[in-house]
Parts: sequence; structure tokens; C-alpha cells
Amino acid sequence: MDEGHFCIPGIGGAAVIQLVFFLLVGALLFVSLFFLVRRSSRAEGSAELLFEARQSLNTLQFGLLPAQIVERIFAKDDFAYVLTGSPRPVHELFLKERKKIALCWVSQIRTHILSLKQFHLRSARFYSRVSFWAEINLALEFAALLAACRLLQIMLYIRGPYAAPYVVGAMAAGAAKVCDISEKSLAFLKQPELETLTTRPVGNPTL
Amino acid sequence: MKAVSKRMDVRIAAEDLRRRTLARIERPLDRLIYLASTRDYNTGSYYHEGLASRFTEEVASEAMADCHREAFRDLLSSSLENLVQQMEAYIDSTYTSPSAFIAAWRKLEPYRVAVPVETDLLSAEFLFSNLKIALVILEARLNIRPEAVPVAWPHQ
Repeated sequence: MDEGHFCIPGIGGAAVIQLVFFLLVGALLFVSLFFLVRRSSRAEGSAELLFEARQSLNTLQFGLLPAQIVERIFAKDDFAYVLTGSPRPVHELFLKERKKIALCWVSQIRTHILSLKQFHLRSARFYSRVSFWAEINLALEFAALLAACRLLQIMLYIRGPYAAPYVVGAMAAGAAKVCDISEKSLAFLKQPELETLTTRPVGNPTL
Repeated sequence: MKAVSKRMDVRIAAEDLRRRTLARIERPLDRLIYLASTRDYNTGSYYHEGLASRFTEEVASEAMADCHREAFRDLLSSSLENLVQQMEAYIDSTYTSPSAFIAAWRKLEPYRVAVPVETDLLSAEFLFSNLKIALVILEARLNIRPEAVPVAWPHQ
């Protein structure tokens, strides 16, 4: 046997090529199978993501975005009232407290928007038929909204709670729009038997 | 079907509670404190004997929880000025010294246990913040206009 030449005795070169080819096909099938299994397990695991998305949507719609609460947090008449009849330390405390609340509001909106974004990225297409352009549009909406959140956080942090009323309004409107789109994707969860599970707002009662 | 009927009972019970009991408690702050005081801290259930005798304990508890959430929402939507007025009136109704009341509330923050169970984090935090500011405003007013404190020894 020639030592410098690898060859299985009794099998020609063409047969070896065939063997390698079949091994490659086998490996390819194995990899495909792996990805298929991974994908289906992700679809099963997305039930949790779905529930989180529903909760985020409820918190946004009923806790963070109602005009009543947004107006109260950023109400200038409260500051005017404090300015008229209280000493300076009270003004400072008021601004500090409102800044804390305003930052908490933006931060929570950002968290819930991120949760909805994750839902749309991973699972939405399993539950609803969204066109390619609608997905692109939604991706842009999410990007703009998250950027607005960051911008508002910086402005509130630097200049206080009354720094950017227009950004607050625009952000609330953008978040409401994203909520409407997500509501459609999660509409199938609005069945009466699931209502009791999903309408419960999230939050810690006693902080 | 049973759930629908129970929900209906809860609505009727809540209406009954609003008409008979809560109608006499005008301010949302007073209503919030009253309803929170009827809640068992160990179980989270509300107790109202009269309402439970007319309906069931469970229905009465849910009706009171609904009214508690309503009072919380009303208080949350109050302006700071209105909240200060409510706080002032509440202090008057307790017949305690305003300065002692303010000191106790600032230190113990009893309002933290007065919010409904399912309240979201931001709403609760916002109310606590407003109550804190209202207390500071009232305290500042007291310092400007100190009340006549009765003294044990008459001035010479």
C-alpha cells in the first residue's frame, strides 16, 4: 500500500467522494433539524412573552398613558400653586419630587415599549399577519419612540420636569400609536375567558 | 353565567355603599382612608358587616375594593392645591394638633398602606409624592402662622 496516499482498500476515489457528499448532506439535515426544533421551542416559550406583552400593553394603556395622569404629572398649575404661597425649600422639594416622578414615568414607558418591541420582534408574526411594510413601519416607530424616551430622560434630568412639554406630548402620542398596533396583534387574547387573566395591571402595591 | 351574576351583585353592592356610606364622606382622601381601614392587612379582604349581610362577604369585599380604587383615582386626579385643602380638612376632622399630625404622617407615612392592592407603581408613587409635598406645604404654613400652644405655666 502506498503510504503517501489515503485510500480505503477495495473502494475507489469516486466512492469516497460519494461518501463525503452523503456525510455532508447528513450534517446539513442535522443542522436543519436543530434549527427547526429550536424555532418550535421558541414559539412555545413565546407564550410567556405574549403574556408579558399583554401586561405591558395594559400598563401603558391604563396606567401610564391616560391623558389624566400625564396632565397631572406635568401640570404647571401645581408648580404655580407652590410658587405663590410657599417658601423656597418647598419649591425645591416640589421640583425634585416631580422630576423623580417624571423620570420614573419615562423609564416605565421605555421598559414597556421595549417589552412590546420584543414581542413584535420574536412572536407577533406567529399570531397575526403583518405585512413586510407594516413591520418596517413599526420598527421605525419603535426606534423613534425609544430615541424620544432617551431624549426626554436627558432633558428631564438636566432641566427638570417642565423642560419639554412638547416632547412629552409627542412621546405619549407615539406610545399610544404603538399600543394601538400592538392591540391589534394581541386582539386574539381579548376573549372573555382570558380577560380576567390579562386585565390585571402590573405593579407593586406598597412600593 | 355565574360570574356575570356575581359581577352584577358587586355593582349593586358598590352602588349601595356609595349611596348609604360614602355619600356622607365627601373628600376622596377621607374615603380612601376609610376604605383602607376596612381592609384586613393579612388577607387583603375588606369587611363591612351591613353590606355583607345584604349580599355575601365576597361580594361586599369586591364592592369595597371597587370603591377603594375609585377613591384612589379621584385623589390621584386632584390638583396639589385641592389635595392640600383635603389634607387640611382631614386634619381638622381628626381633632389632633396639626403639628403633631404632620410630624407623625411625615415620619410614619401611613398613607403608604392606604392604596388599593392592584395599584400600579407609578400611580402609587405619584400620590405618595403629592401627599409628601402637601404635608410640607402645611408644615410651612404652620411655621409661618404658629398656633397658640397652651402652656402649663402662665406668663408672669
